[in-house]
Amino acid sequence: MFLAENDLQAIWLTLRLAGVVTFILLLLGTPLAWWLATASSRLKGPVGAVVALPLVLPPSVLGFYMLLAMGPRGPVGMITKAAGIGLLPFTFWGLVVASVFYSLPFMVQPLQNAFEAIGKRPVQVAASLGASKLDAFFTVALPLARPGLLTASILTFAHTVGEFGVVLMIGGNIPGVTRVASVQIYDHVEALEYNEAYHMAAVLLIFSFLALLALYVWQPNIRNVIQTER
Amino acid sequence: MNLSLFVQKEYGSFHLASDITVAGDRIGIFGVSGSGKSTLVGMLAGLVKPDQGEITLDGETLFSTAQGIDLPPSRRRIAMVFQQHELFAHLDVKHNLLYGYKRCAREHRRIDFNRLADVLQIAPLLDRSINNLSGGEKQRVALGRAILSNPRLLLMDEPLSALDDTLRFQIIPYLKSVSEQFAIPYLFISHSLMEMRLMAEQVLVVSGGKVSEPIPSDQLARARMGESPYGYINLLKLSSPERVGELYSYPWGQENLLISDGCDEHEALFELSSKDIILFKKHPEAISARNLLKCRVVGTFVSGKRIGVELDNGGERLIAEVVKAAAQELEIVAGSELYAAIKASAFLRLGVSKMHLIAC
Repeated sequence: MFLAENDLQAIWLTLRLAGVVTFILLLLGTPLAWWLATASSRLKGPVGAVVALPLVLPPSVLGFYMLLAMGPRGPVGMITKAAGIGLLPFTFWGLVVASVFYSLPFMVQPLQNAFEAIGKRPVQVAASLGASKLDAFFTVALPLARPGLLTASILTFAHTVGEFGVVLMIGGNIPGVTRVASVQIYDHVEALEYNEAYHMAAVLLIFSFLALLALYVWQPNIRNVIQTER
Repeated sequence: MNLSLFVQKEYGSFHLASDITVAGDRIGIFGVSGSGKSTLVGMLAGLVKPDQGEITLDGETLFSTAQGIDLPPSRRRIAMVFQQHELFAHLDVKHNLLYGYKRCAREHRRIDFNRLADVLQIAPLLDRSINNLSGGEKQRVALGRAILSNPRLLLMDEPLSALDDTLRFQIIPYLKSVSEQFAIPYLFISHSLMEMRLMAEQVLVVSGGKVSEPIPSDQLARARMGESPYGYINLLKLSSPERVGELYSYPWGQENLLISDGCDEHEALFELSSKDIILFKKHPEAISARNLLKCRVVGTFVSGKRIGVELDNGGERLIAEVVKAAAQELEIVAGSELYAAIKASAFLRLGVSKMHLIAC
């Protein structure tokens, strides 16, 4: 095998992080995207802007604020300490929380686009046929948005795999706990281990290419989604 | 069905006010685009919230600002058929049809799935994806889905607007027969006077945000004759044709009508504009029109600058129109006799099939 054990450990940790983050964001991002797509509230604009912030903020800025928030004097830190969980920075779950915020627009925006494309009418039809709001959401809106769900999940997963700045700020570089693939490559380069860096970089490159290839082959519309987000 | 709509709604400068009570099973809502008719039915279905007022259907209050009642659409039991079919793309035909049925309380389920599939002739389509249906099939499935939800009222919001003329007249018989056979009252919304004539007994006219008192659809057609470029459209259901050279001959009243656009089918529906009927006081010597009918004047009515003349021939009726000067010259009064000349090419055939289901 051309990858060392610590490289495999970093890759496994990265996949676990991306999987957990994607799962959490599916649960949190879907209702948020639905609200953004259908609500007529004045809060819609500000909430949409907050969701999009990670697209334009340098990861170090986001990481810095999250480090402060999760620290012993930060609001999140005080809550986690009071709850007996301890402090989140430099733990796997700290990475998860940071990544959830950092990858939020990659889940919410494709889903919001999908819900907006479906429009209100199918849900209204479902309501006139006796479906409650929740019923209509789960039996009509969500199945019709399936392509958007797939797009959002793949983008979120791939984006989390490619994170560097935020995970370095929040997680540091603890093998098996917070040292993800991108940080491992950085370590190899720092230690002038170019051969190992080549291998890891190639793995990430191939993974990212395959993820996007899957989207482009199965869903040609993804190009519009990505262009909208950039 | 007894329906009361005392509601108001404002959109910017547009103000919609309805203050009507209507009873009947075939009600039409007629108006041009932007007149507010879709907003009106949206309020009835619970999709649009009125600013204030009260809506009651068969004694049950669906909405009332005074009583703080606003039943959600899912509890009103009012199904809708829209201009576009609005079928759910992720479900096949059968599951689309059953969507409302499954959500209907057992005590309200009275429509048999198989019988409905027979009436709408959709049984062979049940396992198909909706992408493999024609426009007419999609609209029939959408109608079936609405009926199977066992509603107490069916709202049809311009259900024929997206269809071409041939399909439109193929779907109308299904709309009528389904609601009749399963005893479901309906509100039919359209900007087409012809559709109102075919679908509605009583019509509410929506214009500039105001809703009129209900009037019979034929009375509406007579009232609009004077301003319509097409005049009054006579609808004639004719049967048992015979070929006469290049023309078709249909028995009508005490005469036979010679029609260019006839067909070999046993029954067909034709339209004839009141503008295409020329009246003579005496029998003309020779004319090119192939139909010359001796008629008795039943009555006259004024519509704009025109006089409508209702003619009788052996119990069959036609409406012709003349200007006031012609009415005076011909001395048209109830009971007088006239000759009506109609070209064979003036009759236009509507649709081609299922005409036996249309009861004009």
